Amino acid sequence: MRCKTALTRVDAARTGELEASEHRAVSDHLKKCRSCGDSLDDVEKLARAVKSLAVAPLRSCCDEIDHVDQIDDVWIAFSRKGLRMIHRGGTLQEFAQRYAQRYGCALEPGKLTAPLRKQVSDALRGEGVDKPQLDLDESSELEMKVMNTLARIPRGEVRTYSWLAEEIGKPRAVRAVANFVARNIVPFVVPCHRVVPATGGIGSYAFGSPAKRDLLRREGVDVDALEALARDHVRYIGSKTTNIVCFPTCKDAKRIRQENRVPFHVAAEAIEKGFRPCRRCRPFAA
Amino acid sequence: MAHALGAPEVELALSVHRCQSGAFERLIERFETSLFNYAHGILQNAFDAQEVVQDALMRAHKALTKQYDEERVAALALRPWLFRTVRNLSLNKRRSRRGDHLDQPLADFDDNRLGPFTNDTGDDFTRREEAEMLRRAIALLPVEARELIVLRFIEEMSYADIAKTLGSSEAALRGKVFRALKLLREALEKGSQPCDVRPH
Repeated sequence: MRCKTALTRVDAARTGELEASEHRAVSDHLKKCRSCGDSLDDVEKLARAVKSLAVAPLRSCCDEIDHVDQIDDVWIAFSRKGLRMIHRGGTLQEFAQRYAQRYGCALEPGKLTAPLRKQVSDALRGEGVDKPQLDLDESSELEMKVMNTLARIPRGEVRTYSWLAEEIGKPRAVRAVANFVARNIVPFVVPCHRVVPATGGIGSYAFGSPAKRDLLRREGVDVDALEALARDHVRYIGSKTTNIVCFPTCKDAKRIRQENRVPFHVAAEAIEKGFRPCRRCRPFAA
Repeated sequence: MAHALGAPEVELALSVHRCQSGAFERLIERFETSLFNYAHGILQNAFDAQEVVQDALMRAHKALTKQYDEERVAALALRPWLFRTVRNLSLNKRRSRRGDHLDQPLADFDDNRLGPFTNDTGDDFTRREEAEMLRRAIALLPVEARELIVLRFIEEMSYADIAKTLGSSEAALRGKVFRALKLLREALEKGSQPCDVRPH
């Protein structure tokens, strides 16, 4: 593939909108050609910057004023219907500005209702929230899918960005999906901290990696063990007795006895040995 | 998470058609911000954009409830259709306004609504500066490039949906988006120099 052809397809490849063969041709070219590879990063950076310019319409007559409350250093904006925005740190003024930009609506100090307050403080304490009560304006379909899938990752477990992309049916859009995760408007309650890079480690977080590690530990993830596995490039754990393979943090993987545990580096290795993916954590498509 | 994932767009269109209570409000809630951003991208003026979006939504309501039959509503690609309506109305407005103020891209810049919702490093001040530069650069692009930037990177529409909105093929669109990005990058590098290169 020539550079010119590849460059016009970089953006579509980023969001996984090309045919499989075309996608492969573009990614091969990007790996080989440095200047085109750089242009992918460049497009991504521009896309992120442009997205942050989005404005909300001026609403002269808001039928309902939204409220803001605080738990420790966490700001929480909410309406009667549910939570609308959460952010840790910064001043109230900064938070209100962010809110106006997203929803075109002013905030007034108010008191969180007991159930909403419980959801947020549970999430902050690492107790997890089963059914977050949210009131988000509808955004793009892809973003909604990402949020819903995030909410389904169980407490005490982690998933990878590629898993997320696969789950929402856009396996090639890993980078675009990662961007949606990064700008989660209701962190903690929608557990974007439960997504980690496939290559291991904890990955970055809007409120710093240590905060993510701390939160995951409180949710019952053995972070050190996870990192030790990642250092050995182990990405899946199989069971000799059932021939089922899981993510290492899957509830079912944790029950496997030490002597029956089989580590796998890549999915193909497990499939070759006759293992099938766990139906609960769905580590990869069968 | 019932709130986050609404019903698919076809169902939304159908429930508006059947005049179900609250259906049109849901449609507004779902699309107003996006449509406003798009109109704002073309017109570069918040008040005009607001007017266009109101008008477009009223037309959409009339079409969905009175003019279109069920079959047509069911076959409708709601999102591209709404964007197309806003596009046509915006371009009309732009044409009629052209005489009195020829693209005043810098007019409503100081509205204190810069984009802080990014996790990029760098202190608040540099980020604001950068956002301001970018906003200027976009404002100075030709309208064809500007609308593509808005549809693709602010609304994050798929190429398929943009193609339906603008009535063009996906392959052609990929080239156009690439050229629009190239223009944007050039405009950023040149600073605030006016940019008179056309994307075609």
